[in-house]
Amino acid sequence: MQAALRLARQQRRCLVTTANPAHVLAGSTSAAVPKRPLIPLSNVEAQWDKLTSEERSSVHDQLEVLMKKDWKELSIDEKKAAYYVSFGPHGPRTPSSKPGENFKVFLGTAALLGVTGILFIGIRALAPAPPKTINKEWETAMNERGLEQKMNPITGISSEGYKGKGFVVSK
Amino acid sequence: MRSQILPVLRLASRPALKVAAIPRTTPVRYAHAHQESFEAFSERYVTFFQNAEDLFELQRGLNNCFAHDLVPSPAVIEAAVRAARRVNDYSTAVRIFEGISEKVENKAQYQAYLDELKPLREELGIMTKDELYPKSS
Repeated sequence: MQAALRLARQQRRCLVTTANPAHVLAGSTSAAVPKRPLIPLSNVEAQWDKLTSEERSSVHDQLEVLMKKDWKELSIDEKKAAYYVSFGPHGPRTPSSKPGENFKVFLGTAALLGVTGILFIGIRALAPAPPKTINKEWETAMNERGLEQKMNPITGISSEGYKGKGFVVSK
Repeated sequence: MRSQILPVLRLASRPALKVAAIPRTTPVRYAHAHQESFEAFSERYVTFFQNAEDLFELQRGLNNCFAHDLVPSPAVIEAAVRAARRVNDYSTAVRIFEGISEKVENKAQYQAYLDELKPLREELGIMTKDELYPKSS
């Protein structure tokens, strides 16, 4: 166990310092910097969300090299990829609502308002009839009775030159 | 006794009078009184963008420059775009034009900026965001 560990450590040190001649022959530069798979820049927008962070940094590196060239030589896909990676709608720039969501919110609100309207009408339809004292006849009769009794003679219905309606409130 | 103490107390309670008598060597700086003219603003940001060394510095300057209640002059925009070219960041150059379209009052003003800076855009090969992503698709 101990021997195996030491061996592994030795091998790792060899990898880092490239002291192993066999390794140098095999081409240590490509092994020291693991070659990342090239991500096609033409469709970065579609697959950006699925890329791992390593693949994203590989795209970053590709773009960094590309943008050192004359910008007039860049293809429109490369320009789009450069813009999308920096300022596209992902990460903190994800739009807070998808297109069509506002319409759904409007529909939901309208449906709720309709339900409350139906409830309002239904409850009022089921309610008992208003009391017998709330109608025009009863209230005129109350006025007559008030005048009969000289009710409120200073400011009320029995006062001189009274113009108000007295007890009449319903049409 | 009281009449003797009072003037002393009065002096002691107003030390500011003495301080004000000393002549000032540095002028008083009031933050609200200083109004930078548009030309001075443009000149300041042109020199800033000409000296911007890396992408962070450029984007920091852009954030500050576009935070004011004005649209930066074409000279400032040109300096900023050239800074973007110097630090090799295409997306920031596109973003600068997007920023103008956000700051201007109407489309005619944006179009005027685009026309004014057309030689620069053609020289560096910069497309605006609307050209990269047409609205119709």
